[in-house]
Amino acid sequence: MNGMHLSRFPLSAKVFCSLFLIGIGCGSLAAFAQAATSVGISASAVQASLAPDLPMAGMRHGEASAEREMDLGELSSAAKVWMRTPLLIQTSHTHLFGQTLISGLLGLIFLFVPLREALKAAIVALPFVGTLVDIGGMWATRFVSPSLSFLVITGGTLFALGYVLIAALSMHDLWLRKETT
Amino acid sequence: MIRRLVFLLCAMAAAPALAHVTPPVLLVSDRDAVTNLLAGSKRYFVREVRLTSAERQAVQKETGWAPDEDFYRFYLGRDDQQHDVGAVTFLTEYTIHGPVRVAVALSPDGKVKGAAVVEVSEETYPWVKRLIDQGFLASFAGRDAHAPRPQRGGSSMPGFYGDIIAGLVQRAALLYEAGILKRAHS
Repeated sequence: MNGMHLSRFPLSAKVFCSLFLIGIGCGSLAAFAQAATSVGISASAVQASLAPDLPMAGMRHGEASAEREMDLGELSSAAKVWMRTPLLIQTSHTHLFGQTLISGLLGLIFLFVPLREALKAAIVALPFVGTLVDIGGMWATRFVSPSLSFLVITGGTLFALGYVLIAALSMHDLWLRKETT
Repeated sequence: MIRRLVFLLCAMAAAPALAHVTPPVLLVSDRDAVTNLLAGSKRYFVREVRLTSAERQAVQKETGWAPDEDFYRFYLGRDDQQHDVGAVTFLTEYTIHGPVRVAVALSPDGKVKGAAVVEVSEETYPWVKRLIDQGFLASFAGRDAHAPRPQRGGSSMPGFYGDIIAGLVQRAALLYEAGILKRAHS
């Protein structure tokens, strides 16, 4: 960007950028583990956590009550998060702010990597698009169709892909690129 | 340039840290909560009730809480002779620190049999754990929907969450009374 490349940054800035990228990477791994253990990382697991709570007893619209015998196996034996709408709102607001800011910080570092503009624009957009697809997918799963739960996985994958590309290319530029005069 | 960049990064990084709601801590599965709270049951049933507007108003008048779900679900346990052992329902309150989800068991007469905290946020957990360790949840046993809530006192965070949990237990008892008990008698 304007001739300012990561490889020309002073040592302190290189250390700062590197540790930020490593920190976000560790945070992403922890977030992945958290998502895997509390919700699951398959489309069906996301669907189970986000799809609207439908009547179990076969209660039809307008009926005052319904009852049926059940097997305890119908209840989850695992401690799994089921996201009610207020939690979805809470999750959306924190993750939209948090992930967008992380995407912005990653992008800010990545802007100093010398690459073709079209390629750079595509890579820098990945975490932002991933975040929007991820959170948008949660709402779509709840309110449009449970079958759209794959969007949550797609969004997370795009965010991760964006992070990996940005971190790898930035680290390469920070520490491995030889400056030519 | 670099100093401006560092300042910008720090300022941007502070915002999500302040806004973040910590991850959920799941203390017990739904199945275990139902099994433990309805000990002695041989068969299980699920009953869902849709409150009438009069029933909703009655609950709101008692607690100030407006039950706005389309329906409420109770898991019923019965013994070998088909006698009711009790019913369990799950209710959640969304606090500034994240959700607090509680399972409440009710006797066939509408009195509280027991309660268990099912889910809290990581931040809330130490405050709620203190309540659990002190036996706060056991203090609800035998109370009906109209009994005064057990007082935790003080303005501490455990006290605040004690009030939240007590409110959820009372709501569960009122929902059972409105959606099952009173309907059975009418």
